[in-house]
Amino acid sequence: MEGKSYQRLPRVKIREMRDDYMKFELRDTDASVANALRRVMIAEVPTVAIDLVEIEINSSVLNDEFIAHRLGLIPLTSDRAMSMRFSRDCDACDGDGQCEFCSVEFHLRAKCHSDQTLDVTSKDLLSSDHTVVPVDFSDSAGMESSEQKGIIIVKLRRGQELRLRAIARKGIGKDHAKWSPAATVTFMYEPDIRINEELMDMLTLDEKKAWVESSPTKVFDFDPKTEKVMVVDPEAYTYDDEVIKKAEAMGKPGLVDIIAKEDSFIFTVESTGAVKASQLLLNAIEILKQKLDAVRLSEDTVEADDQFGELGAHMRGG
Amino acid sequence: MDPQPEPVYYICGDCGMEIPLKPNDVIQCRECGYRILYKKRTRRIVQYEAR
Repeated sequence: MEGKSYQRLPRVKIREMRDDYMKFELRDTDASVANALRRVMIAEVPTVAIDLVEIEINSSVLNDEFIAHRLGLIPLTSDRAMSMRFSRDCDACDGDGQCEFCSVEFHLRAKCHSDQTLDVTSKDLLSSDHTVVPVDFSDSAGMESSEQKGIIIVKLRRGQELRLRAIARKGIGKDHAKWSPAATVTFMYEPDIRINEELMDMLTLDEKKAWVESSPTKVFDFDPKTEKVMVVDPEAYTYDDEVIKKAEAMGKPGLVDIIAKEDSFIFTVESTGAVKASQLLLNAIEILKQKLDAVRLSEDTVEADDQFGELGAHMRGG
Repeated sequence: MDPQPEPVYYICGDCGMEIPLKPNDVIQCRECGYRILYKKRTRRIVQYEAR
């Protein structure tokens, strides 16, 4: 089956990069690729999260399942998750307990002995593996708060106690949102904004100013010296059509032409802290490649489905 | 036949005393006579899925 090649060579340009945030441009590709990347980052990049909770003592005001649910939502550092196994296909253990390949054990013991309320936080969770610990937010938040605090799990009054064991496992956001490493991943089409200078010159100064003001976001500006309207920030445009409607209302349709470039995307990635935003992107690309390999293999052989069981399941509609 | 059944401890709804009860005992607090008793939490470990 000889056919036309649709191969393109996308380019990435990083604009801003912090541990938990990244902004980059993706060019020379289509929306399908951009959206696949976005969806993989949200739902298919693995992390580690608490999945099983064994409660020994709980005399707090929150019931057991409430606490178990809260524990599950705590982000854990998951740099090792890509090389870990899913506990369901781990050969070295039955999925429960301590297995270095697929699970991490946590212990929590807290009792309030004073009249002051005791905050039980993610910092009280003791991990059996120093590479998988509750995410520390103290750096990003700044030193404004007197002491670094974790995520509050429950508050205890005098005499109340909480004692439990929790098992964290590898998983993906598609199974449960607690495994999603992404807080938000968005992309926008880069706009191409062209002002029709001929029509623009026909407007009076007040009309120009009124037109510039009609945009809810600051996309255009009026230069009082040259008396010209310029595009100052095309990416501030939210595709709201307000300036186009305004131009029509002023009797100047076609004053501005705005099109969304179909091969340029601006991505924003916010991480939960489980993996760095930059690593999240790299992991997502790796997983996309694995998925494409699975497609190629299943075309050749049926047996390949068995070798790539997990990905095969994905392809069959998991 | 059966070994002596162990008493189960309940908590009085009025005075908060712990009352041991055996089968066929009257459900009543021995201290204050209140008839509503609460069962205590299990001492066993309970398991939950964190979902």
